[in-house]
Amino acid sequence: MSATLSTGRHWRLCAALGVLVLAAAALSLLLGRSSGGPTIGFGGPELGAVILREIRLPRTLLALLVGGTLGLCGAALQGLLLNPLAEPGLLGASSGAALGAVLVFYFGLAGGDSLLLPLGAVAGSLLSLALLYALAGKSSDLLTVVLAGIAINAFTAALTSLVLNFAPSPYAALEILFWMLGSLADRSLVHVWLALPLMIPGWLLVIAAARGLDALTLGEETAASLGFDPRRTQWLVVTGTALAVGGAVAVTGVVGFVGLVVPHLLRPWVGHHPSRLLLPSFLGGALLATLADSTIRLMPPGPELKLGVVTALLGAPFFLRLVISSRNAAAN
Amino acid sequence: MALVTDALEIRYGARCAVHPTSLTLEPSGFVALVGPNGAGKSSLLKALAGLSSHTGTITWQGRALGTLASRERARTIGYLAQASTVHWPLNARDVVTLGRLAHGRYGVAPTAADREAVEWALAQTATAGLADRSVSALSVGERARVLLARALAVRAPVLLVDEPIAMLDPFHQLEVMGVLSRYARGAAGGAPALVVAVLHDLTLAARFCGRVLLMSEGRVVEDGTPATTLSADSVRRHYHVEPFVTQHESEPVVVPWRSLADGVQRARD
Repeated sequence: MSATLSTGRHWRLCAALGVLVLAAAALSLLLGRSSGGPTIGFGGPELGAVILREIRLPRTLLALLVGGTLGLCGAALQGLLLNPLAEPGLLGASSGAALGAVLVFYFGLAGGDSLLLPLGAVAGSLLSLALLYALAGKSSDLLTVVLAGIAINAFTAALTSLVLNFAPSPYAALEILFWMLGSLADRSLVHVWLALPLMIPGWLLVIAAARGLDALTLGEETAASLGFDPRRTQWLVVTGTALAVGGAVAVTGVVGFVGLVVPHLLRPWVGHHPSRLLLPSFLGGALLATLADSTIRLMPPGPELKLGVVTALLGAPFFLRLVISSRNAAAN
Repeated sequence: MALVTDALEIRYGARCAVHPTSLTLEPSGFVALVGPNGAGKSSLLKALAGLSSHTGTITWQGRALGTLASRERARTIGYLAQASTVHWPLNARDVVTLGRLAHGRYGVAPTAADREAVEWALAQTATAGLADRSVSALSVGERARVLLARALAVRAPVLLVDEPIAMLDPFHQLEVMGVLSRYARGAAGGAPALVVAVLHDLTLAARFCGRVLLMSEGRVVEDGTPATTLSADSVRRHYHVEPFVTQHESEPVVVPWRSLADGVQRARD
């Protein structure tokens, strides 16, 4: 009885989130930004079509796709690691992608909108994934995988600092830094087409792990006894996350905390069920990123606030609260 | 038509946890697996569940366990790990429903058979009243019964349970032994099944199980009826305790009474 009831509640939650996502997307399409401040509407039919197609549609689509990817992968990683503090950045895919992009910058191959930049990021993300598997080897031990991710993060961060250190000019260094902050500004539909071929297989791999994540709730041994090899579940989630998040970072830079906050907020709504958390987290991530990006465009004119900065400002206090509440829970 | 091991050997690195063991477990019956700590009981049970690497062969109804698809093995052999945990605070009914994952349909939408099996398992373990509570809010014993219900919900023809009554009070120990015994006889609303339980309570093992395997130092050293396997002499030799063996209402009572000097010496070594 309750099983069907909670399944029904799950779909109602998805439907509600879906409506909110559509509303946020509509808002994002309507919201403009001119030298005079935020505007609503398009300002004339011919100009409107151009603005919509060239500026606002790519921006809105990317907000939805990147936010959704981060939410989905965050939920899957938390399920895999049985830890509500897990995050897509943990596996080194984001930082690897960032390094790839930064190298493209460094060698002066990229102007602001060159395609080499996202391609470099994709290569960086895939390389860091390969390194992850080389380091963790055939180990089925999750801790080893996490430690390998931490090592890759540290290494790529060091290399990124190295590149910044040797940046040919302060402007180049600044450009690199700004890109790494994570933003949806000045993207085109090309960026969407570039990210999607990585995101879609990534999503599918993660979704294929859904029932394996449910089984993992009972521990690795019991999951195996139910016919779900934990190593297969791990492969699906890790590879899927690296692909999808690599694609996301490639086009937007690093946008943190969405993958941490969204699954965590939604978990009680799905009865803490790992598989039922995936779709709502995708929608919730899309909603959060779209709203955060719309908020940015509502700000008064001046240097545009970066999306990654906004999500970090929202996410860090949330993370602190999580730490404090889990510390209190441990004390009790 | 049985669960058969042939020269089954389990090694953890250089250490041999289970020495080559050949056993035939008939497809129905309640078998106790007893023995001192570190005797290899859990290792053997895990191997029987197809969950650990080993040499030698294990076959079920003539087919090697390793050749079964993982889902088919999962439907055939239910397994309850020792002191298992639930990592997310699901409600008890959702936890029990996870057992239906073995049937590969759950997650799309639970079928009528899934729901029926879950309610049956909840009823068997007297946990229906807890079904809508979060497992994190349950007592250790209540959670242990919910997890047993999870294993029962698989409704597998082979059920392997590792210390199912270790966390329970006397009332629920008796109840759970009754549940496992009925499950083995097919009296719980299914076909007769093979139940193998790792137990430390010798009286309950002797009273409820038709066959008792006693392991010591990685070997099955006694195998037979409770009267022979759990005789005073056998308990003395393998457990290094002086037992009090008697009968009550024409059923055996085996109570460890006093630790023996040779056991104390061994514990020091």
